[in-house]
Amino acid sequence: MGISRRTLIKNAAALGAFTGAGFPHIWIKNADLARAAGGEIKVGVLFSLTGTTAIIEESLNKATILAIEEINAAGGIKGSKIVPIVEDPASDPATFSEKARKLVVGDKCVSVFGSYTSASRKAVLPVFERQNNLYWYPTLYEGRECSKNVIYTGAVPNQQQDEFVPWLVKKFGKKFYLIGSNYIYPKEENNYCKKLLEKHGGEVVAEEYVPLGHSEFSSVINKIRSTQPNVIFSTVVGDSVVALHRQYRAAGLDPEKMPMASLTTSENEVAAMGGDAAAGHFTSAPYFQVHKSPENEKFVAAYQKRWGADKVTHFVSEACYFQTYLFKQAVEKLATSDITPPNIRDAVKGAETIAPQGKVRIESENLHTWLWPKIAQCKSNGQFEILVETKEWLKPVPYAAYPGQVCTEKGLAEKS
Amino acid sequence: MQIAPILIVCAVVFALPLVLNNDFLLNKVARYLVLGILTISLALSWGFGGILNLGQAMSFGIGSYAMAMALKLKTIPVHTGSGGLPDFMVWNNVARLPWFWEPFKSISFAIAAGIIVPALVAAGLGWFIFRSRVTGVYVSIITLATMVVLNLVIIDQQSYTGGFNGITDLAQLELFGIAFDAYGRATFYLVATCVMLSLLVAFAFTCSRAGLIVQAIRDHEGRVRYFGYDVATYQIFVFALSAAIAGLAGMLYTIVMEFASPTFLGVQLSLSVVVWCAVGGRQSLVGSFLGAVLVAGMQGALSESAAFLETWTLVMGVLFVLVVLFLPKGLAGLAQVAWHWIVHRRQVTQGIAHGVGRTREGSA
Repeated sequence: MGISRRTLIKNAAALGAFTGAGFPHIWIKNADLARAAGGEIKVGVLFSLTGTTAIIEESLNKATILAIEEINAAGGIKGSKIVPIVEDPASDPATFSEKARKLVVGDKCVSVFGSYTSASRKAVLPVFERQNNLYWYPTLYEGRECSKNVIYTGAVPNQQQDEFVPWLVKKFGKKFYLIGSNYIYPKEENNYCKKLLEKHGGEVVAEEYVPLGHSEFSSVINKIRSTQPNVIFSTVVGDSVVALHRQYRAAGLDPEKMPMASLTTSENEVAAMGGDAAAGHFTSAPYFQVHKSPENEKFVAAYQKRWGADKVTHFVSEACYFQTYLFKQAVEKLATSDITPPNIRDAVKGAETIAPQGKVRIESENLHTWLWPKIAQCKSNGQFEILVETKEWLKPVPYAAYPGQVCTEKGLAEKS
Repeated sequence: MQIAPILIVCAVVFALPLVLNNDFLLNKVARYLVLGILTISLALSWGFGGILNLGQAMSFGIGSYAMAMALKLKTIPVHTGSGGLPDFMVWNNVARLPWFWEPFKSISFAIAAGIIVPALVAAGLGWFIFRSRVTGVYVSIITLATMVVLNLVIIDQQSYTGGFNGITDLAQLELFGIAFDAYGRATFYLVATCVMLSLLVAFAFTCSRAGLIVQAIRDHEGRVRYFGYDVATYQIFVFALSAAIAGLAGMLYTIVMEFASPTFLGVQLSLSVVVWCAVGGRQSLVGSFLGAVLVAGMQGALSESAAFLETWTLVMGVLFVLVVLFLPKGLAGLAQVAWHWIVHRRQVTQGIAHGVGRTREGSA
């Protein structure tokens, strides 16, 4: 069958219409770019609003937006408003990467606040390193990363465990049962935990990893019964946390004798499982909603006023909140024409602010944050009771488990 | 069946960089084009072969990992210096490079593997499925299950695969002295060339004798078998060809996205491909390709517009339902109907006799 000229023209016209309908933003967005600048500082807000991690990431989005609104209401940064560009990466690493590109290259944001999971951070990292932009990551994570394009405001293993593990050994006993979800974060935390146990005379009776999203813990609970540990050290994440706590309680185990000690159970997870299932167990984190300080009372009140009285704050949403203020401080130091990601990074080195958890500082050598570790026990009302607060803030050591390596301004180096 | 729409689409794709003078848009459109190639591969097995592969992303993922492994070995690791182990292996206390990583030090091997391995895996799987005359929904279940198993193995074996985080921090691909920067024109033209190749290879196959037999099998398997054809062999072939094209798409995806992730062989992506294919028209190569590009593009545009930020998934859902209800042959079917209507009207007014061969026009 031959190709008539008419066919060609018709098909070309139809295609043109299709392409136009599919990419309206190609033309519109370019127009937007031209209107950029002029009393506006664009930042990206990249937390999943749909998909599997949407529940927790929505709270991070809310805390970030709250801080931006507060800053703008108080006059912005030297008269310029912060303009948040909110994107929904749908809990999918590829979409994270696509949206990060859009924010950094397309919208020309000077910084992006985002991510909960390590997988999504790893997916956006090449974008920020290649474009020399700045990513603000609020979540506790496994350490062992050294990027000049990421500001890490969550805890690394040494900040959650240095106080916690010796305290657990002293209070409950030597035998630890390590249970975690099967990915890099729990494995790294447990690597560090084993080092601390060796130092403080503890021992590991079992180390076990369950698939992400695992919800059937009866075999784990049987093993716990037979090994009789003093502490169940948990780095299980997401929905599995809820299942583990409920099944632990249903099996009739007693938190008084064999408590779970978690690095991942926050007010958010407790709200999902119900206070009864969580009561009696312990968590180590730099922040709890019940922490008493004027800054925290202000934060919790503002958060609940903006997003609803039933909403809880937790250690990741708190980091979202204070990191936005650190961003503001850094930009304030710069002349308007100098507001670029590398200049913001240089300005944020050594910056300090009074966060809800206490005074925090960005360590200039590794861009992680000095934090205030706390140990708390969960109560049946869904809130925690803080039992131990450190007297000193703690330096972030992202390579704590590996004595040969240290993160420096230029990247990773061997310690001599 | 015509080649004209294919040539027009290829010309438009190659001309896009003239309109998109922005690195970011170029990269983004390249991503949609790659998803388009993946959808062409499904149209081949589903639309022409009648084999609904719900695990199409498995071949895509294998290709993606093959490329990522080669590029990872080209990266100079921060922990161990040049020639050292990839970073995630160091974190997982792996002492030496596993044997199956060794050949990926060669880019040519990786490129060959990215196409051949998915084809072999598909042929092997197809051998079991089609030799035992498994048909219909059971084929879909088997392919879906196989993909989920591979996905779980990759997540579980994190010492060798990077696990849940995937393989990140990759070097740039260099071939014949050209560096393929994810945002560069070179990468865009590479993707565009592969779009053209995939469309032409798939088109050539559908026009060939084997292609016609495959379509006959789709329409009435039993009748073709009574004619003495070895039905399974033809099915295995189209299944493997489809996997090879998906593997090619996977390799390009790694280059464009700069990482590989277990979500690339996930259920979500696999089902999205089926939807794109259905929206574009599964019995049309160009239609399915455009379906993917348009729907993925619209998804991106909707989720980025402030007005639809909360509701974009809902809007997409309604669109799919409308297409399935009112356009069973997808956009390609709509184009076909519109074309016939125009031709028919003109012929009636001009009083020209209706050509018999015209009935299949407008679909490619």
